Amino acid sequence: MEDIDAMFSDLLGEMDLLTQSLGEEIPPPAPLPNTKKEVSFTMDFANFNESLHELEDTDLDALMADLVADLSATEEKLTAEIQGLKAPSPPLPNLPPPPRDLSFPPAPYDSSSSSSSSSCRDSSSSLVSTSATSPLPPPQAGKPSKEDIEAQMKADKIKLALEKLKEAKVKKLVVKVLMNDGSSKTLMVDERQTVREVLDNLFEKTHCDANVDWSLCETNYELQLERTFEDHENMVEPLLAWTRDSENKVLFQERRDKFEVFKNPQNFYLWKKDKKTLKDMKDKDKELLIKENFCGPSIIVPDLEGVLYLKEDGKKSWKQRLFQLRASGIYYVPKGKTKSSRDLVCFVQFDNVNVYFGKDVKNRYKAPTDFCFVLKHPQIQKESQYIKYLCCDDDWTMRLWMTGIRIAKYGALLHGNYKAAEKKSVVSSAWTNRSTPSSSNQSTPSPTIRAKASSQSNGHASKPQPGSDHQDFGNLPPPPPPLNEILPPPSPDPVLPPPPPSLASKPSGPHRKQPSGFPPPPLGIDNNLPPPPLPPPIDEAPPDFLPPPPPNTGIGSFPPPPPNTGFGSLPPPPPPPPPPVSSLPPPPASFGGIKKSLHPPPQDPQFLPPPPPDPVFTSAGAPPPPPPPPPAFAATPRANARPAGSVKKMPPAPPKRTTPVAGGGGGGGDLMSELMLAMKKRSDH
Amino acid sequence: MLRLLVRGLFTSLQSYFIHLCLCFSELSGVSLTEIKRDWSDHALWWDQKKMWLLRTAWTLEKYGIHADARLIFMPQHRPLKLDLPNGKTVRLRACFSDPVFQTVMGICRQLNIRHPEELSLLRPVEEKKKKKDKDLTEEIYDLTEVPLSSVSRPCLYNGMPAHFAESEKMEAVYKMLSITQTPPAPEVITKQYRPASVVDKAHINGRWLDSSRCLMQQNIQENDRLWLRFKYYTFYELDPKYDVVRLTQLYEQARWAILLEDIDCTEEEMMLFGALQYHISKVSQSEPQALSTNTAMDDLESALLSLEVKMEGESSSATELLESVLIKRSCVNVRFRPKRLTLKGYKQYWFKFQDTSIAYFKSKEESIGEPIQQINLKGCEVAPDVNVAAQKFLIRLLIPAPEGMNEVFLRCENERQYAQWMAGCRLASKGKSLADSSFQSEIQSIRSFLAMQRNNSGSSSNAASSDESINTHSLVSPRYHKKYKTKQLTPRILDAYQNVAQLSLSDALMRFLQIWQALPDFGLSYVVVRFKGSRKDEVLGIAPNRLIRIDLGVGDVVKTWRYNNMKQWNVNWDIRQVAIEFEGNVNIAFSCVTADCRIVHEFIGGYIFMSTRSREKSDVLNQELFHKLTGGHEAL
Repeated sequence: MEDIDAMFSDLLGEMDLLTQSLGEEIPPPAPLPNTKKEVSFTMDFANFNESLHELEDTDLDALMADLVADLSATEEKLTAEIQGLKAPSPPLPNLPPPPRDLSFPPAPYDSSSSSSSSSCRDSSSSLVSTSATSPLPPPQAGKPSKEDIEAQMKADKIKLALEKLKEAKVKKLVVKVLMNDGSSKTLMVDERQTVREVLDNLFEKTHCDANVDWSLCETNYELQLERTFEDHENMVEPLLAWTRDSENKVLFQERRDKFEVFKNPQNFYLWKKDKKTLKDMKDKDKELLIKENFCGPSIIVPDLEGVLYLKEDGKKSWKQRLFQLRASGIYYVPKGKTKSSRDLVCFVQFDNVNVYFGKDVKNRYKAPTDFCFVLKHPQIQKESQYIKYLCCDDDWTMRLWMTGIRIAKYGALLHGNYKAAEKKSVVSSAWTNRSTPSSSNQSTPSPTIRAKASSQSNGHASKPQPGSDHQDFGNLPPPPPPLNEILPPPSPDPVLPPPPPSLASKPSGPHRKQPSGFPPPPLGIDNNLPPPPLPPPIDEAPPDFLPPPPPNTGIGSFPPPPPNTGFGSLPPPPPPPPPPVSSLPPPPASFGGIKKSLHPPPQDPQFLPPPPPDPVFTSAGAPPPPPPPPPAFAATPRANARPAGSVKKMPPAPPKRTTPVAGGGGGGGDLMSELMLAMKKRSDH
Repeated sequence: MLRLLVRGLFTSLQSYFIHLCLCFSELSGVSLTEIKRDWSDHALWWDQKKMWLLRTAWTLEKYGIHADARLIFMPQHRPLKLDLPNGKTVRLRACFSDPVFQTVMGICRQLNIRHPEELSLLRPVEEKKKKKDKDLTEEIYDLTEVPLSSVSRPCLYNGMPAHFAESEKMEAVYKMLSITQTPPAPEVITKQYRPASVVDKAHINGRWLDSSRCLMQQNIQENDRLWLRFKYYTFYELDPKYDVVRLTQLYEQARWAILLEDIDCTEEEMMLFGALQYHISKVSQSEPQALSTNTAMDDLESALLSLEVKMEGESSSATELLESVLIKRSCVNVRFRPKRLTLKGYKQYWFKFQDTSIAYFKSKEESIGEPIQQINLKGCEVAPDVNVAAQKFLIRLLIPAPEGMNEVFLRCENERQYAQWMAGCRLASKGKSLADSSFQSEIQSIRSFLAMQRNNSGSSSNAASSDESINTHSLVSPRYHKKYKTKQLTPRILDAYQNVAQLSLSDALMRFLQIWQALPDFGLSYVVVRFKGSRKDEVLGIAPNRLIRIDLGVGDVVKTWRYNNMKQWNVNWDIRQVAIEFEGNVNIAFSCVTADCRIVHEFIGGYIFMSTRSREKSDVLNQELFHKLTGGHEAL
């Protein structure tokens, strides 16, 4: 309660300032950040500490890396923000450090799909840069439109304030993810991250082939249940439902079922046809099926109807009933009635339940078969009459039903997830293939396979010593070792306990993607390019440009950015160092971006100078610019440098950034639309 | 003028003598010379041969006209009474000389409906017992005065096509077209014909007009009544922005299909349809034509609003909104009964709403300290248990916990308190706090629903239509009139309503259509057929992507064939048989019982035509292809 109050007063003060001092520059209330920090730090400190104790050293290292990542991401955000805020006013060299150090751009709280979330990030980052761009002229020439700018500034500021409101509440979890080989990885997961983003993160840490089947799964030890998270889901939410000392785990595995419906839709939508027809299905017809069922105005669920065994509420017996799947839920035919729709009785609707695979039901519940799926509210963690068990005659029927239920529940989201995953895998396969064997020091098998979920508010509070982390950190992005070494064979049986040790001995890698003739895609690194120039550049950047100079000014007074030593230990950037210029907003490929962004990609001096707005400015040929500092960058080079795959990956980005700029002088409207876009995305939840 | 037009004919008249009946009916009583008329729409109709002589360059000989031919000179565009999907009748001038396909295009242009290829005309059901209704002359919206030329290019004026903006009367017509109708009285629904079986449903499909022949050829006379309906269930690019009329009419057609059980659905689905109808009628009355404003802007505003509220709350200034938020915050007395503790009594506690949680205390005084318990409502199920007459206002909460679901009842003292707490619980279950912008509207909708229940329980169901409230029996099919009294029905619909209460008008319409389209039987047009080699009648279901064979006895789908596996289909016009060949050497053939085989042929060809539409060429309709796919019979 207190902290909320504190926040309010915080905001109040800030709002006041913002509204009063329109046009003037913003003297940010300096004291605020401290309170915020303290508050958040204390909140869950004990908890966090406790969980830290249980971690192994390696985990700690990894964790530290994450923390640093967060930290520098924050800083970078900050610089961007400062830039945005300061832009309209004549640059003042000695801005006091604004209180915004904790804020990220508004990330979708629970974005519906990874693609949307990444685009959202794009928009937020581009927002910053546009805001910086548009005011460029004003100091000299832009007088007439001052009101516009002010209005837009105001909106901008208000938005920032709102963001901060959210930001202050952001939780972080330390999650231990169990690998197929029995080892585990410890991750820091932001409350707002989606499963897709966490997966991307893991791809980078494990250097696996990133094919679409990789999934994160949750197991419930007490109930012996298992569920694959959907990519668009929020990662933290289900974990928070776990009880305190639960033996639940998070697994990182390949799950064919996850997207099987998009690979072989005929098996689900035409399952009544004979096997041979299904097997010989032409790709064209498969596409058509997907289009019909997922791309239309409404989602069509597979036509499923059949006798299943139902475990009656709280009873031990299993009863047979004729069930039917509809978009609105699962129904059954009551005794003595016909199958006509109006006689059906609703068994369950999907709003509040998830579908799980039930293990070992024959033993546990005397089930007629072991092909059992379970429907329950995600919060329920223990035996309860509210859990519904349904048994099928065979494995395939069970998978049909489980997939059908997912389609009914998530609809087009699933298709979006699949497309995003596919893109990712294309890009990654190129990346993995070109990699050379090198250090594979990452994972050390650890005995405890528990995902430790402890909530810690705002990770930034606990600033680790940057130096030490950095060394560690340097190891993170090493070119992945040869595929075979890392990749465990795809396990067909989901229940398979992770085969024990010896990473290197795994023979058959899930080497699905053909090595393509791609130029070595510097994918991993590409992603790392954080939108706004990173803190490190500071020193070199010329502070006196008229166009709001990059972050630098603000940063000078900042907590030391990652020390340079860190850079030294970094692996050299992959061959074609993509200049981050161009109208493409730097691809925040995903949320992982936050973490990744602290990879000091900018270590390459080339990156440093271009403050994001400038390139945009030049490339767009906007009005008379004050001498743009680094005009050297054109939009094109980057495009060339990028491997096709990675460009593809972030398709939403270009239009967003470019349109506003192309709009020329009408920066006001554009900014607003950006703003609204961001707001809308966020408020969708 | 006349001579000009028919010159081609007269020059070749020569020695023939022909009955030439000039149709001057419209001019009766007026001296011919006085009037300046545009004759360009007139043409000659050869009555015996049922054909228009539209090629004025042809000689009579070429047409094969002999002395006994009876030619009628008359306008090609003539008035027609059209029964629209929303049940209203519009009188407009339609082309009697073009193939029906083009006639429909012309009609849709007048009505401002995009994608006319999805609609068609059909003969109305013979009205037998409608005699007594005839007394109440139904309102006919007249569009016959619209000059045909002005319709060709619809430019928008005040959000509607220019020809609707000319007079108030025309505006009223547009309103009728573009705004959903209020729910019909329950008796109206009960009185309407409802198909009881698949065979019943099949009969309507025998009445579709032939798209490749003109109205005159199909014996449609001036001022005849026809139905305009969506025929092909593939709705291309529905866009609330451009498709106001199309969307509204489609919704009306879907609504009636559901109310009359033309398409089956479950009870849960029916309740949701009912809730959506209620919502749509409410929203369309309150904000007519409020096209979806920029929602993003709204979001920003509401976010700001809530921020302000919070901040002002600190400084304790009192705005309307704030007040209610404060009330919520600073507690209302709610009685509380944890399940199973006591069955009868409720214990009284002091409750507080904070964010998405409720906390309760022994008394108001203790509410500063630690609560007895705090319950987070996020993800919980909220259900009403209300009886206005008995002043029972219960909120049933099903709160998930690791051990299962906890059932909790909150008992409120009065309607006002109930509405606020119910609204709060609902928002909280979705993870929103009371500061959310939708809080007030949520309260409003709950109260209006309560008002409905009050009215219904007070008076008999008939009187309810007087004020703004709606009899819930108007929202569901007659089956549920029997099953539930309005008193029982209202809470069920209210239950479903909570998930849709925040939708904008166009979103609600789209949602309705989506749920409709997700029904298993959606898009099926039935025809009773007899398969070759079979001795009994069966039903063929024609869907946008497939054909299904239904066993009449069991009602089960026996077989499904998809169009994309189809190699060819043929119609043997002599024996009226349709033969289709699918990949893998699958051949089927059937004759049609309840409809002409032409209709089945046109359905299949039509759907294949629909699937060829694509974004690039969506502007121009490939009429030729349509006729190629659907016509081809009885070469004229």
